[in-house]
Amino acid sequence: MTDNVKATSQPKTGQMVIHFTIFLALILSWELGAQMGWLDKLFFPAPSAILTSFWRIYVSQGNIWFHLYISLGLVFAGFTAGSILGVGLGAVVGMNATVRRFLQPYVIVLEATPRIAVAPLLIAALGFGATSKIAIIMLVCFFAPFINTLSGVINVDRDRFELMRSLGASKIQVLRKLVLPEAVPVIMAGERLALTSALSGVLVAEFIQRDQGIGTLILTYTRNLNMASAFACIFTLTLIGFLIFKGMERLDHRIAYWKNEAGLRRVGAKRARAWAAEQGGLARA
Amino acid sequence: MKMFNTLMLTTALAIVSLPVTAQELITVNMINPLPRSTNFYPLVVAEALGYFAQEGVEVNLLPSDTSIPYVAFVQNGQADLAMLDPVETVNARLAGANITTVYEVMQNAPEAIGVLDSSAYDSVDDLVGTTVGLVSDRDRAFLQASLDVMGKSIDDVQTVVLGESGPTLAAAIRDSQVSAISGAAPDWIALNANGIKVRLITPDEMLASPANTFAMNADMVEEKRAGIEGFLKAWSKGMYAASVNREMVAQALRKGVPAEWEDEAAGQLYLDMSIGMNQSTTERLGDLQTGVWTALQPRLLSSGAIPELVDVSTFLNDTYIAAANDFDRAEVEAQAAAWLEANK
Repeated sequence: MTDNVKATSQPKTGQMVIHFTIFLALILSWELGAQMGWLDKLFFPAPSAILTSFWRIYVSQGNIWFHLYISLGLVFAGFTAGSILGVGLGAVVGMNATVRRFLQPYVIVLEATPRIAVAPLLIAALGFGATSKIAIIMLVCFFAPFINTLSGVINVDRDRFELMRSLGASKIQVLRKLVLPEAVPVIMAGERLALTSALSGVLVAEFIQRDQGIGTLILTYTRNLNMASAFACIFTLTLIGFLIFKGMERLDHRIAYWKNEAGLRRVGAKRARAWAAEQGGLARA
Repeated sequence: MKMFNTLMLTTALAIVSLPVTAQELITVNMINPLPRSTNFYPLVVAEALGYFAQEGVEVNLLPSDTSIPYVAFVQNGQADLAMLDPVETVNARLAGANITTVYEVMQNAPEAIGVLDSSAYDSVDDLVGTTVGLVSDRDRAFLQASLDVMGKSIDDVQTVVLGESGPTLAAAIRDSQVSAISGAAPDWIALNANGIKVRLITPDEMLASPANTFAMNADMVEEKRAGIEGFLKAWSKGMYAASVNREMVAQALRKGVPAEWEDEAAGQLYLDMSIGMNQSTTERLGDLQTGVWTALQPRLLSSGAIPELVDVSTFLNDTYIAAANDFDRAEVEAQAAAWLEANK
C-alpha cells in the first residue's frame, strides 16, 4: 500500500516541479524583457510592478475589496438565476416533445444573438443598477445549462429506457433511476461553463455601467495607463476563474460520483458501513 | 440577558429608523460618462463634505458607456439629469426631445486635439491628408468643428475610432499610427503622466465652449425643483471648495477615487487640469451663457455636426442657477479647512 502511494506521488511531485520551473522561467523572461525594454510596458508591465500593485490594491490601499465584493455578488446572483432558469427550462423542454417543438427555435435564435449587443438594450429596458447587470449575467449563464440539460435528458440510452418502461417503471422512477444519473454529469459540465462565463458577463455589464465593480476598476486603471494595477485586477479574475472551475470540478465529482472510480469507492464504502451497521443492529435485536 | 435585550432594542431602533432616513432624502439620478472621478471633482468633494445630504439629496450616479443616447434615459425617466455636450443638446432638441439645459458643469471645453510634442504638426491645418484618432464617436463633432474653424472639412482627414483604452491611445500616438487624437482632458493627462508628451493644437475659437452641461426633462422642472436645486447647490459648493482649498480637494479625491491617485503626480496633474475645466468663468457658478451657445451653433452647423440652428431660449433655462449659488462662501471655506484638518 505504502509502495503504491509512493509510486503515484512521485510522478505527481515531479510534474509539479516541472510545472513550477516552466512558470518561473516564463515570469523571469517576462521580467527581463520588461526591464531591458524588449517588451512594451504599455502592454506588458513588469511582473515586479504587477506584484507591487497587488500589494497596493489588496493591502496598503485595499481599494479592490469593495469592487470584488460587488462583482462577485453579481456573479453569484446572475449565475444562480441563469442556472435555475437554464436547467429548469432544459428539463421541461427535454422531457416534453410538444414544448420542445415550440420553444426550441426561439431559444436557438436567442443563443445566436450576441449577448454583448443585447446588453445596452437590457439596461435601457430594466434601468440602471444591479437588476440589469444581473440580467446580463443571467443571459450569459443561461445557455450552457439549458443546452446541456436538454441534451442530457433527450440523449438518455433508449434501450435502458425501453427496458425500464417494459418492467413497468413509473415516470418518476425513470427520471430518478435513469434520466438524472445520465444527465447530471452533462448538466454539471454546463454549470461549470456557466459559472466561468459569469465572470465575462460581469465584466461586460460593468464596462457598460461603470459605477462600481472590478470591471470599472480595470477601465479606470487602463484609462490612466496604470497597466500594472490593471493586470493585477485581470490576474485576480483569472485566479477566481480558476478557483471556480476547480471548485465546480470537485462539486461535480461529489454529485455525479458514479462517473468516477474514486467517487464510486467513497460512496460504496459509505453504503457498506451503513449496511454493516444496519446488519449489526438487526443481529443484536 | 441584559446585553441581549440591549442588542435587540438597538436592532429594532435601527430597523425602524432606517426607512425614515431613506424617505427624507430625495434621490437624484444622474447619467454621465465616468464613475466618480477627479474629472468631476465637485461631486466627490460635495460628498466628502456632506453637502448632498445636507440638502436632503442622495446622488445615484449612472455612469455609462452605452450606445443608447443619454437623452433617452432622461425621457424615459431613469435619469433626472444627463451630462450632454452642445452637439448632443442641439441635436436632441431638433429630434423633438423635450429637454432643457439647466447648468453648465464645464465652461471650458475639456475636448481638445492633441499631437505628439515632437511632431511637426502645429495647427489643425497641418492634419489635412492624415489619419486622426478619435477617442469616441462623440469626438468626431469636435474635430469636425475645429477643422471648420480653419476652413477645412472632416473629409480632408481620415478618422479612426481608437476607443478609451489608455494603451491603445498611447501606442497609436507614440508610434505615429495617427497624426493626432481628438479626445478629452483625461486622455492627455494619462499620456503626459506616462512620459508621452502631448501638445494641444486646438483652435482658440473652440476653447470657450460649454461641455458636460446638465440637461433634464423640461416637463419636470417644477416637479423636481427641490431635489435638483439641492443637487446643484451641493455641486456648486464642491466646485467652490477647489478655488479656496486645493489641498482639501486633493485629499478628498485621494480618499474617494484612490485608483486615480496611485501615482500622486498623475493625480495632481489630473486635478489641476480638471479645476481649469470645472471652475465656472461666469459670475454665478454654472450659469448658462446664452451668447456662447448662440455663437457656437453656426460653427457646428457649418461643420455638419448639427443640421440646423436652434433658438437657445427654447432650451436654456436658468431657473435653478440662483438657488445653486445661494450659499455662504465663508462657511464652505471653513468646512473645507476643518475637513482637511480631520482627514490629514
